[in-house]
Order: sequence, then structure tokens, then C-alpha cells
Amino acid sequence: MLHLDHLYRVAFHLAKDQNEAQDLVQETFARALAAYDQFKLGTNMKAWLTKILHNFFLDRFHTSKRWISVDDSTNQESDQWGRLAAENPGPESHVLFRELNSQITDALRKIPEEFRTSIVLVDMADFSYEEAAEILACPIGTIRSRLSRGRRLLHKHLKDYIGVKKDRD
Amino acid sequence: MNCDEAQELITALVDRELRGPERSSLEVHLAECARCRLAREEEQALKQAIQRAGQSILAPDGLRDRILSNPNIFPEKRRSARSWRDYVWPTTPMLRPALAIVLLLVLALPTFYLFKQTGEPIAFAALHTYDLFLRGELPVHRVENPKEIEAQLTSAVGGRFHPMGYDLTAMNLQPVAGLVREIQGRKILVAIYQGQGGSLFCYTFLGSEKDIPPNAARFFDAEKKMNFYAFSRGTVNAVFHREGEVICILVSAMPMGELLALAEAKAKPS
Repeated sequence: MLHLDHLYRVAFHLAKDQNEAQDLVQETFARALAAYDQFKLGTNMKAWLTKILHNFFLDRFHTSKRWISVDDSTNQESDQWGRLAAENPGPESHVLFRELNSQITDALRKIPEEFRTSIVLVDMADFSYEEAAEILACPIGTIRSRLSRGRRLLHKHLKDYIGVKKDRD
Repeated sequence: MNCDEAQELITALVDRELRGPERSSLEVHLAECARCRLAREEEQALKQAIQRAGQSILAPDGLRDRILSNPNIFPEKRRSARSWRDYVWPTTPMLRPALAIVLLLVLALPTFYLFKQTGEPIAFAALHTYDLFLRGELPVHRVENPKEIEAQLTSAVGGRFHPMGYDLTAMNLQPVAGLVREIQGRKILVAIYQGQGGSLFCYTFLGSEKDIPPNAARFFDAEKKMNFYAFSRGTVNAVFHREGEVICILVSAMPMGELLALAEAKAKPS
């Protein structure tokens, strides 16, 4: 179905909650089908759907003040990784990847929303700067700046997990 | 350029978004600065780790079914259900049993007769054929030349109509085989496309709006003034459209949106 995993992935990182993410995705499809005549053939449907999802996320979470603190930490993401582990049993390396993935998800939850959103769109959803700027309705330079600052913040949280050299000059 | 100025450019370089003079300046700086080269490696590693983490997150089981069965996502179906209640069903409760009996008398026998005659709609049989093919249970004769497929299929229906042939090379799909199926006495031409983009079946047959599968979601292309009908079973998606008396059904496991966009792009208004 129509970029389902992609939309869920973005929704999961925006909402930081599995149930909210599923609601976001369902509403995205409802809004997209209702506005299908506005979609221009030949344009990027994945970006169009993502923009709808992001707009709905802003409406729902920001206007209703349901947004939780960026430092908030719950165990919901553990359920997600637990489910994936159960569905994808594998060699030991999978366990290591899962641990890293879990740490990345945790770290993403700790950085400000505007940085997280840019990282999710560019790194996870593979959008170009131009597409991400269109989705977030901001200049391309802002995307670059947010990515740079966001990754630096992420790196601080993940420096014990990402394999990097220590022999800085 | 100093290291602070280089930071944001390193981000763009890692994302392959850096071009022109900015890229040249950064490359000069990187050639001289080991600290920034390390920063680039770190950022590249971080990006790859984030990408992997993203790929690991999949939509939960059941979300797809919940979306497909959500009445809010198919407002047309909801409207049509309301119109039955609003305009046909009597508002006076006492009249309802009488109307039910009349409807039963008017509809029961012809409906029974029609069901006996038609059986499963051709559209659903198309999904079944695709499924058989994916499971390797559908023998097909593969040919090298796409024109040979079209010639054989056209000949099978005495030239009354032609299989809808599309150039799908941009999607990494090439025509590899064709077959003719006879369902309910009607000949269905099937062109099979395969490639790195997966596989896609294109069904062509003579028919009418009556062949639209029940519960299909309708999409109207305002530009071409054509209706497209989307339906699916399991992971297999299909899009139905009509060009005059020729029906085309595209069937594939590709996402519904892409299949719909493909059908709309290729369809020719009759």
C-alpha cells in the first residue's frame, strides 16, 4: 500500500508514540483520498503524502498542546523494537544493530522537533533538501542548518554507539 | 574557511547536496584539515546508522487492513450508504416490512439468476491469476520479442481488439510473456511484464461498467475525464479503467498509489 511503511516511520518519529503514529497515518490516507484531485500526476506522491501527514501532525499536536517534552522518555519505543526482534530473529549482529537502532530512536526523541523532523525526512525518508523544504514549508538553507545542528546533537547522544575514530588531530 | 564554517558544508557534502564554489572551497579545506575530515567520516557513519534505524521501522501488522476498512477513508462509499437510507428506505417504520417484501420479490430471482451466470467477477479472477503466477503455478510461454506477444494475443481474439501494451522500461519492467484466459465465455488477454521493478499484469478484454468490481474505490481524473477503480486482495493491488468497450486492469504488488498513477498516466480517453 501506498508508502505505508514510509509514512508510519515518519509518523512514529514525529509523534513518538505507536498509537498516535497509526492515527496519523490513517488520517493522512483519509485526507489524501479526499484531496486526490489536487495531486498532480507526475509529481512526487511520497512527498505529497508526507506533507499531508506533517501538516496534520502540526494541526493535531501543536494546536491541542498534546505535544510532550523533548526530554520525555517512555518505554513505547522498546515495544517497537521488541516486536521487530520477535518478527526478525537473526544472528548476533542483528542484536547489535537493534541496540543501535534503539539508541538512535531514543536520541532522536531527545532533540528538538525541528531538527528531528529534518533528519527523519532526509536521512530516513531519503528526501532531497528541496523536497524536505517543500514539505516543511521552509527555505532549503534552513533544512541544511537544522540537519547540521541536529546531527551534532545526535552525535553527542550516540558517540558511545557509533564507531568513530578517536585520534583527532 | 575555518572549521566552524565548514561544519554545515560537511553536512551538505555527506547528503550529496553540495555543488559549485561551496564544494570546491570545502574540498580545499578538507585537504588541509584532518579534524574536519574526521568530522565528515563521523557524520557519514551517523547518517548510515540513522538510515538503517529508519529501515527497521515498519508499519504494524493490521494497520493496512484498518485503513482499507476505515469508512472515513472512502467517503464515496459512506455517501452512497447514506443515500440508500435517506432516499429509499421509508421513514415510517410501519412501511419498512412492506418495502422489504417488494424488494425481495423484485430482486431475489433475477439476482439469483445473475449470480449463477456470472460467478466471480473477472476483476477478481485477474487477481487470482496474478497470485497463481507469483506462486509459479501458472504456466506461461515466454517470448523474446514484445511484438510477438501482441501479435499472438491479438490473433487469439480474431483481431477484435488488441492487448493494451505499455512501455514500462522506465519502471524496469519489460514484457516477457502473454497468455489468453477464458472466463465466463469471454477471452481475456494477459500481457505479463517483469523486471527489477517486480512484475505487473495487464489484462485486456471487452466489457462495460458492469465489470467494475464491487467495493472498488473510484478515482476521477479530471484532466482525462476518466474513472479509475482501485481494488486489492492481500498484497496484490489492481486498477481498472475503461477505454470505450475495452477494459484494462493493471495488477501488481506495487503500492496502490504508484499503480494508480501508472494507469492514469497511460490511459487514453476514449
